[in-house]
Amino acid sequence: MEATIEFFKKIVDNLNGFGFPFLVFFIGVLEFSFGLYKGKWPKNERWVDIACFTLPRLIIQPAIAYYSLHFLPYIFGDFKNVFSWVPFFWGFAIIAVADDLTQYWYHRLHHQIPWLWRFHRTHHSASYMGMAMASRQNAIYTLFFSQIYLTAALVYLGLGIPAIAVRIIKSTITTLAHSSIPWDKPFYKYKILHPIAWVLERFISTPATHHAHHAATTDDGVGYYKGNFGNMFFLWDIIFGTALISRQYPKAYGISHYEGDSWYSQLLWPLFKSNVEGSELAADGPVVRVDIDKHQLAATAASGYKNPPVLTPELTVVQSSYSNN
Amino acid sequence: MKLETTTKQQIVRNAFLSLFIYVLPIALMFLTFYITGQRPWEKKNAKKENVRSITTKNTANNGSND
Repeated sequence: MEATIEFFKKIVDNLNGFGFPFLVFFIGVLEFSFGLYKGKWPKNERWVDIACFTLPRLIIQPAIAYYSLHFLPYIFGDFKNVFSWVPFFWGFAIIAVADDLTQYWYHRLHHQIPWLWRFHRTHHSASYMGMAMASRQNAIYTLFFSQIYLTAALVYLGLGIPAIAVRIIKSTITTLAHSSIPWDKPFYKYKILHPIAWVLERFISTPATHHAHHAATTDDGVGYYKGNFGNMFFLWDIIFGTALISRQYPKAYGISHYEGDSWYSQLLWPLFKSNVEGSELAADGPVVRVDIDKHQLAATAASGYKNPPVLTPELTVVQSSYSNN
Repeated sequence: MKLETTTKQQIVRNAFLSLFIYVLPIALMFLTFYITGQRPWEKKNAKKENVRSITTKNTANNGSND
């Protein structure tokens, strides 16, 4: 019996280690095969996506290893595995809430507190959704990803197996929510599936709700970058009143005034600054830049970000972009 | 750019509610133990005792397999 448990443990461990990159790769291949990017993957954005997917792993993995192997034993000492008696179901519930609610707050504060916005901006500057941009983050945002450290502490205290189960489910949900494959569409299309859709869209992040969060516009009935902060559970947005459910997908994604900042400034701001004049990541750039009018946005999308509209007083200011995730 | 007062108030209100949500699964777990009479932490301690009696150096070769 113990050998069987050990065998399944090894499978789960391997899924934990290789499962996420494999899932991203597999869905990414599907997305490219079906042409879902519609030619919207410019060279600069390609470099940002690739750099953000690969380079932070070189910093983050050693940081977490140090934290788990040296810092936690130093702080908790004899408390290793002290909660290993917690039944799997409850361990799962405790970790799921602790991990995902912490991430909800981390994410929400980066949208609502102006000076934090620029650490999260990179994730929102992509004008497309999909596997290419799912891991697109500023390295400092990733390094201080608070729930990683909380979950590692709970693993040290004995909740290792539930933590792995949560991680597998969470990675799947968040990856599919960023995907350009609208897997939730049939649930809205067929009336018989509507009750399932009603529960699903309130409980977990779906492409419709998370794409709305990545929209270039807000308050137009579809895009809503001022909310929909949930990662695995959408329930937090429902509870805290930050949710918008429209069952539609935005026409344009990204940041309305984005002009293609360099990959290194997007990955490592504030260590490296952008040389795009007026950018939030530029040395003398604003903390938060105002959005441009959505009609102008359509013109920008047609001409590409190399010819952005000039921000003049006659352009209607729609929203402050720091709410833009 | 400053944080708006309404946003600030909403953050504080929601943060308090979050503390309750963090504690909820732990409280529900102990409530279940209380209702069902389960005491899984005792099982773990008993297991520990058994392991200890096996590994003590009380055999002829003083706990060594050499």
